[in-house]
Amino acid sequence: MANKGNILLKIEGLRIEAYAEEKWFEIVHGVDLVLRRGEVMGLIGESGAGKSTIGLAAMGFARDGCRISGGSIEFDGLELTTTSEVDRRRLRGSKIAYVAQSAAASFNPAHKLIDQHTEAPVQYRIRKRTESQEDAMELYERLRLPNPREIGFRYPHQVSGGQLQRAMTAMAMSCRPDLIIFDEPTTALDVTTQIEVLAAVRDIVDQFNTAAIYITHDLAVVAQMADVIKVLLKGDQVEEADTRTMLNKPQEEYTKSLWAVRSFQREQKLRPSDDSAPVVAVEDVDAAYGTVRVLEDVSFDVHAGMTVAVVGESGSGKSTTARCITGLLPPLKGRILFRGEELPPSYLSRSKDQLRQAQMIYQMADTALNPKIRIGDIIGRPAQFYGGLKGTALKNRVDELLDMIELDPSQFYGRYPPELSGGQKQRVGIARSLAAEPTFIICDEVTSALDQLVAEGILKLLDRLQRDLDLAYMFITHDLATVRSIADEVVVMKQGKVVEQGAKDAMFKPPHHPYTDLLLSSVPEMDPDWLTTLLEERGVDNVGDAATT
Amino acid sequence: MNYFVIGYYALLIGSSCLAAHYRQREIFLLLFSLTLASFVMGIVGGEGALWAVTIAAGLLALAGGTAYSFREFLIIISGPLTARALRTAPLTAAFGMFVIFTYAVLGIFAPVIAPYGEAEVISQSFAPADQDMLLGADQLGRDMFSRLVYGARNTVGLALVATTIAFVIGALLGMIAAVKQGWFDQFMGRTIDVVMSIPSLIFALLLLSILGTNMIVLVVIIGVIYSPRVYRLTRAVAGNVVVMDYIEAAKLRGEGMWYLIRKEILPNSTAPLIAEFGLEFCFVFLLVAGLSFLGLGIQPPTADWGSMVRENATLISFGEITPLIPAAAIALLTVAVNMVVDWMLYRSSGLKE
Repeated sequence: MANKGNILLKIEGLRIEAYAEEKWFEIVHGVDLVLRRGEVMGLIGESGAGKSTIGLAAMGFARDGCRISGGSIEFDGLELTTTSEVDRRRLRGSKIAYVAQSAAASFNPAHKLIDQHTEAPVQYRIRKRTESQEDAMELYERLRLPNPREIGFRYPHQVSGGQLQRAMTAMAMSCRPDLIIFDEPTTALDVTTQIEVLAAVRDIVDQFNTAAIYITHDLAVVAQMADVIKVLLKGDQVEEADTRTMLNKPQEEYTKSLWAVRSFQREQKLRPSDDSAPVVAVEDVDAAYGTVRVLEDVSFDVHAGMTVAVVGESGSGKSTTARCITGLLPPLKGRILFRGEELPPSYLSRSKDQLRQAQMIYQMADTALNPKIRIGDIIGRPAQFYGGLKGTALKNRVDELLDMIELDPSQFYGRYPPELSGGQKQRVGIARSLAAEPTFIICDEVTSALDQLVAEGILKLLDRLQRDLDLAYMFITHDLATVRSIADEVVVMKQGKVVEQGAKDAMFKPPHHPYTDLLLSSVPEMDPDWLTTLLEERGVDNVGDAATT
Repeated sequence: MNYFVIGYYALLIGSSCLAAHYRQREIFLLLFSLTLASFVMGIVGGEGALWAVTIAAGLLALAGGTAYSFREFLIIISGPLTARALRTAPLTAAFGMFVIFTYAVLGIFAPVIAPYGEAEVISQSFAPADQDMLLGADQLGRDMFSRLVYGARNTVGLALVATTIAFVIGALLGMIAAVKQGWFDQFMGRTIDVVMSIPSLIFALLLLSILGTNMIVLVVIIGVIYSPRVYRLTRAVAGNVVVMDYIEAAKLRGEGMWYLIRKEILPNSTAPLIAEFGLEFCFVFLLVAGLSFLGLGIQPPTADWGSMVRENATLISFGEITPLIPAAAIALLTVAVNMVVDWMLYRSSGLKE
């Protein structure tokens, strides 16, 4: 990627404050950034590091409740902190574009894609509507969207998530901006879809020689996209270097810890040799939402003290299987056995003890904990409900559970969920399921909403608890790195069917089922050439096809 | 030209200049436009108009000062959490709280505050105000001020009880419908549609003439008539809560419906419900006053603002403002409640800036 031009964006000593509890807090403490024309900079860091805030500040914009309190932002010779809002607004969309994390939430559902695409060029009088539509179709083609001449006339809900994200990238390109800010554009996508978007974004940025700021928390992704990587921590810059140097020789301790995060891996356990009944056995389960069949002949066993990872893309029926096991969705056919005994299909007809044995930990700890109930009461309720504990016995049990999840009881007992960080909330969710003293826990994407360092902590905790309490886990995930670190057995699902299942070590060794192979090869690696090599192997044109077939 | 007029303009122009100097844009615009308007008013209306402006400004400043001090007072006496919420209250909300507080004191301590009984005839009908009677006498010679104080207790108390009934019925059914869903939800929804399709005042009149007029019937009828609105709101708010994972977790735990409603749903829907309570209270209050005005509400000799307006209505033709005083009492309370509710709605909607 040669011919880097002159400086396009220069941020110096940027300070941003946020308003909370009647005070202004500084959340970005003096960040410098230089971006040349045609260069792609990766901003990485955990949540709360100020990545998105800095990305928005590059457009001279601060979110509601935030303000730019110091420093300078110079874009193409224009100082954004002092220009009027009218002038800044003129830049946005035409010279600087923004691609948001959730394309589904950012498109207006009431308008067709192409109408939203042409809005900016027509508004800024860069192109006429018809020209702009032609241009949109051309961009759709370049981004390898299927049916580029027709897809624009669909509404946002009529195309898939990956296609929508690419349409949004095309929209950002509609005025041929000098700078595009990508704010975690692939975080919400499956690995197989992510590749399409990554390849499309990289090509188009390259073709038009557009500069870009690529914000993400996924190191492997940023390694594919960026020329330069900048690491942020709690609003401070940690270090900056070009991609290869950064990957091979990180200087700072924090960066090294980020790099090492995927190292946690534990030994695979084997099924107990005797013929004891599995804790949970799913037998030939079919399920449907209304008339839509979502599960077909799903069978697998979970043995005591073992972790079964259920992997697949979104829509493959992973969570539906969990709903069948818990009884929220009674299966059409097939049985759920618990220690050899058949469970009633609906949770309503299960006994209190049957309900107690199988607990669930949710993906979004935000919605899984009632924000108006204190932590102590959230954790205490199952103990009170199933165990009939009261008074000091209950308090002691809650303290014990809080200790178990490594949160200080004296500090957390009386607090409310909104006062906790994402990782702490997830720990409380774990404690709540432990309070019921279960033998089987369903973990539904428990780490996917968390930062990598925090996620690793949760995985280690779950592993320790499994050893201490001899728990059986069903681990639903789309992240193969998680599978590699914690699973004993793997079940690969696709469109409601089990494609392949077996012990972990065997699964990660060839030969694979073609779909497993696709999933495995789509996980980004920390090698800057990974995407290029992969695309060459697969043949550039069928990236999208490979994922859809 | 006298000293008052000179002082008036000097003060306005001086403060405009100060505001302009310290770049207080809005204050300057307000002051200076008032100055310009005063020139016109002074020429057209003479000194009297300027006095009126001064008094109005003084009253406004007094109300603002009261509201400000009342808010500070509340902040000091309340706990840290409430105090933080109160600090975000605008002056209008603080003023509203002050008015509600005053009405509450009047209502609770009515026998102590009122100099005479509510049905006590002490003078001739329509007697003018004197040192015994602050606001004069009504059409039967009862003390207007005492009746106004007792009216606070009767009218406001009745509206409060009726609103509470409406809330208990509406909120409970709404939450049950949200949890149960299915046919119960449909059945309740359609029943509520039928009740809502009948105009409330006419429905109330109809029921009152069938069942007869007494306090209990009145309160229950109004409560039932107003419960559908509460039902709909609660059903919508609770509908958003029941889809949360923590409700699913509680259901899977095997919790009963009563626990779900009480512990999981209710705490998460209180903010909009409290705001709605304020709004409903105003409607109920106006309905009670309206029914009394029509003679079907609170029956004489019990003092009530609505009927006080009707009984003294003849005085309007003589240019007296007496019948307007209870009307003003109604208006003031309604506006005050709305001011507080506005603030609460703003808070519960999570809007910033």
